[in-house]
Amino acid sequence: MAEGRNLAGVVGLCDDVESLLRAASAVRAAGYREWDCHTPYPVHGLDRAMGLKASPIPAICLAAGFAGAGVALLMQWWMSAVDYPVRIGGKPLYSWPAFVPIVFELFVLFSALATVCCVLVLCRLGRWHSPLHDSDVMRLVTSDRFAVVLRQEDRLFAEQEAAALLARSGCREVRPLYEREEDGSLI
Amino acid sequence: MSGGGDGGAELLALAPLRSAGLARASLALILCGAVLCATTLLSEGGLERFSFAYLWGFSFAWAIVLGSLFFVALQHVTRAVWSVVIRRVAEALAAPAGLLGVLFAPVLLLLLFTDHCAPFPWSNADLVRDDHVLQGKAPYLNVPFFVVRALFFFACWGGFAAFFVRQSLKQDAGGGAARTARMRRVAAPFLILFALTVTFASFDWLMSQDPHWYSTMYGVYVFAGMALAALAAITLAVLWLRARGLLGQGIVSDDHLYSLGGLLFAFTCFWAYIAFSQFMLVWYGNLPEETVYFARRGGAWLAVALLLVALRFALPFFLLLSRDAKRSPRRLVVTALIVLAGELLDLYWLIMPQLHEDGPRLGWQELGPPLFLAGALLLHVARFLGKHRPMAVGDPFLSKSCAFHL
Repeated sequence: MAEGRNLAGVVGLCDDVESLLRAASAVRAAGYREWDCHTPYPVHGLDRAMGLKASPIPAICLAAGFAGAGVALLMQWWMSAVDYPVRIGGKPLYSWPAFVPIVFELFVLFSALATVCCVLVLCRLGRWHSPLHDSDVMRLVTSDRFAVVLRQEDRLFAEQEAAALLARSGCREVRPLYEREEDGSLI
Repeated sequence: MSGGGDGGAELLALAPLRSAGLARASLALILCGAVLCATTLLSEGGLERFSFAYLWGFSFAWAIVLGSLFFVALQHVTRAVWSVVIRRVAEALAAPAGLLGVLFAPVLLLLLFTDHCAPFPWSNADLVRDDHVLQGKAPYLNVPFFVVRALFFFACWGGFAAFFVRQSLKQDAGGGAARTARMRRVAAPFLILFALTVTFASFDWLMSQDPHWYSTMYGVYVFAGMALAALAAITLAVLWLRARGLLGQGIVSDDHLYSLGGLLFAFTCFWAYIAFSQFMLVWYGNLPEETVYFARRGGAWLAVALLLVALRFALPFFLLLSRDAKRSPRRLVVTALIVLAGELLDLYWLIMPQLHEDGPRLGWQELGPPLFLAGALLLHVARFLGKHRPMAVGDPFLSKSCAFHL
């Protein structure tokens, strides 16, 4: 190992979608956890090949929607039947049909806001930048290559075996990924 | 992934339906219905009950056929590619549009050759004589003009349905691109005509049963139910044909089912939106001449109204909410059956309170016409599918449609 840099992982580069999907399935089958795929465009079937779990966003969206509907109902009941009761058109103070449009709107508003916030959190947007973005690997991926990156943080990680796994499962080129000690950038 | 990769050979090998069972079942329905209709007509006060039940059954058949015609035209006007693999099934359901005109004959005959047709109070000269409102509406609500309008509607729907179905069938033999271009050109003006004719037909055949009452949203309410019923029928037919292997192996994919399920879900929300909007405006305005309509359909009919909310909105909404549900054939079948039951109940709730003000009644007198009309519709569809390929194999976008991915 050269001076001033540490091994950060192993990168496998593929030329086409089929070999990427093969490599991703093999890595998932081997039990790796700290790894990811990088592609120039969204690839159909990659979620399944990587074994990604279903997103929790739909459930959160629904729950937030119901919360919004509940808030809307309570708010309107409190405003028009408790805090400032005005009888309109001889109707009861608590007239649910009149509240339905607001219940619907807040259902939509709450679920939309919750969805956006969850997407930001689940994308780990708190981290503004990944050093991988400046590496040569990304330069290839943003043009015409597909990359599988195995990180050394994974408990299964061993350089030789990881490289062999990638080479065996369809990657045309396998190269090590280093982290420079002075600024933490990946090369 | 897609079956389209195997090329046109598999698609061209798709054969028409060979099922004597379906034809036999529909003949049995027709026979049952006809016997029940005849017994009803011979019984005391039977003509009145028959005429209401006939309108009920007819509106149901009308909703499925016209909704399917709308679906076909919608695919052309939006230049949809995903739906090409299932469009022939919708065409099979839209093809009986001409038959609808024949099936409407009993209503027209009752209007023309008896002193009045029970569901339409404005056709009763004795009632009109003492009724200012009906006299004011007489220039529109009179028998000759009603008959002329009905004939125009059926000529229009029958003509356009024949055009779309025939062009698509001729395409099977060749001349794909030119015919597709022609259908796309015709679809846009047809949809405008469709909106107007369906609106006025719903005013004529359903809303005018309570001739004092009116709602400008009535047409779109009936249309929302119609679109739902047709989507449910198309989904059921697609799944049934697919399960029998008539639509090829893996050609109609999860993504196609998802699109059908998505439309079913969207129109469920659309119906709820329209139905509630109509109700809320009447409730808010609180004018006696408007609220009488919902007052009659609440009260003794409240249970039906609540069941309608469940069948039309709550159940389909939650059954189809998740992504996986829209791809699951079993879930789609269950939901489509619920939606069809909802359409039957909706039309029952629109029509029958005029006859039974004191609460819902469903005897064998009510069942004859729906069974007869459903049988007639099913027989026509079975014969269509028995004669023609179940997929539009000549459509230039078929292979793209096979490879459709969301």
